[in-house]
Amino acid sequence: MSKRALLPRWLTSEHPLPWLFPVTSLLLVFGLYPILYSLWLSFYKRNPATRKETFLPSYNWEKLFADDRVWDAIQITFTYAFVALALQLILGLAIALLLDSDKKGFGVLRALMTLPLVVPPAVTGMMFLLMYDSSFGVISNALYSLNLLSPSAPILGTGSTALWGVIVADTWQWTPFMVLIMLAGLRALPKEPFEAASIDGATAIQSFIHLTLPMMSKIIALAVLIRGIDLFRIFDYVKVMTDSGPGTATETLTAYAGTVYFKSANFPYASTVALGTLILVLLTATLFIKIFKVRF
Amino acid sequence: MNSEAIKNGARYFIAIAIVAVFVFPIAWFALTSIKPVSAVFNKDRVVVFDFKPTFDNYRVTILGGRKSDTNSSSSILMGTSGEGAYDGRGAIASSLIIAVCSTILATTISLLAAYALSRLNFRGSQGYMHWILSQRFLPPIAIIIPLVFIFRDLGLRDTHFGIIIAHTLINIPIALLILKSFFDDVPKEVDQAAMIDGATRFQCFYMVVLPMVKGGVAATAVLCFIFSWTEFLLSLFLTNSIRTIPVKITTFVTSTGSEWGYISALGTAAIIPGFIFILLVQKHLVRGLTMGAIKD
Repeated sequence: MSKRALLPRWLTSEHPLPWLFPVTSLLLVFGLYPILYSLWLSFYKRNPATRKETFLPSYNWEKLFADDRVWDAIQITFTYAFVALALQLILGLAIALLLDSDKKGFGVLRALMTLPLVVPPAVTGMMFLLMYDSSFGVISNALYSLNLLSPSAPILGTGSTALWGVIVADTWQWTPFMVLIMLAGLRALPKEPFEAASIDGATAIQSFIHLTLPMMSKIIALAVLIRGIDLFRIFDYVKVMTDSGPGTATETLTAYAGTVYFKSANFPYASTVALGTLILVLLTATLFIKIFKVRF
Repeated sequence: MNSEAIKNGARYFIAIAIVAVFVFPIAWFALTSIKPVSAVFNKDRVVVFDFKPTFDNYRVTILGGRKSDTNSSSSILMGTSGEGAYDGRGAIASSLIIAVCSTILATTISLLAAYALSRLNFRGSQGYMHWILSQRFLPPIAIIIPLVFIFRDLGLRDTHFGIIIAHTLINIPIALLILKSFFDDVPKEVDQAAMIDGATRFQCFYMVVLPMVKGGVAATAVLCFIFSWTEFLLSLFLTNSIRTIPVKITTFVTSTGSEWGYISALGTAAIIPGFIFILLVQKHLVRGLTMGAIKD
């Protein structure tokens, strides 16, 4: 026998342990432990005056449910996630259908379409800040000349339009991601059903609704799940573009947790808000996976 | 001209128009980076092309030129004081070190785990996959607060190694899922044949299966690199003196105004590496992003 016999089986490459050890230990130490630490932290009440923390397990959690800013933030987060997801899904599918061609020139267009994906989100925020600027911004000025916007109500400085301003930046950056996924789905569709349908006289719209969409449902569900989770965790755009403002008009859950952390240094309550966000994401995602039977 | 040719021409024209909309913000940003200050802040003529291009912004931000030597930099904006405030060389070096190391680390350890999950049938592998997946739901803000304390205690705060660990942690779930889907595409008979010839599991992984999925590994590595290169929140919380590019750029926005020339120069430069990488692996990337939801 070779030297393999000298080792206990669980140390050989036949056993999953050595393979999984690095990933597992890293996730336990820097993934799971912080969550437990966070939970433990959330059981302490911080006295802002004395900066002393006393063990009072229910305090922060009761505060969380009674906090109006949390409920506002939940509403803003859901609005943001749903509107952005719907826009990105529809645009992504439409653009993928448009670009799904083997004709000359379309390959270059598909490559150019991936450009927004490599821009750091913080830089994307800056790009749109520049274009939204109320005096020299190119988007603002275009809207002024179309009479759709007045200089007295700048896009990001007005409560009713600020969230839209952020959604546009997010949609610009992440629609290409949807396009890539949808293109992969479209490319994998079998040809025969479409040929049969066109022989039977189906229009392009009919075969899209009755063939393309059902056959793409799995990939669409996956794309919605991945993008939906990311939208729930939105932080960079809000931080860079509006810093939750004006007032709290664009304050999402993660932005609120960040505000509590940075501005009031109330670490126990900041942890509670962050954990609340995590629980909400987990619940929504699990529900989605169960309903749409997403498999990996 | 027949109607087919008109239809094709119209489709190509619409496709170009839509891609142009998505490329425009980057083009505008790049244009801003070579404009003299007087052209950036000209609110009477927002769309200006007849300016004299200047590379002073690049000289200062990526070549470390002195701000006072350049004549285009504004006298109206004081911005952050200090000669080195707009020198992005340190940030570029930090971002490169962090992105390269975390990409290598995340890809390597995810490869091991993905191989085991794809090949070794063991009890609890499904549960393990779900646990990994749940890490993907984690809003970074939920672990960032305890991570700050843990990093401080371990001496990892404000070190390159600390951010490398943090980025690796965030990249593991997606890297593992994508790599597993590539492994799943390789028939199990390949492993069996190698093992009959006397190869151990590890030899089989390293010498037989790994070369067959190298396209997928490249795509995964590019995704990890782009994530690390563009990441903002973790880098912001976990560092004080070490600044990655996205964090550095946000320091160019000061209470007295934004240095749009420097922001756009460093921002434009930051887009280039990611775009080159994404073009190199585009074929595998599209396949990888769907994480095995499409079997072809």
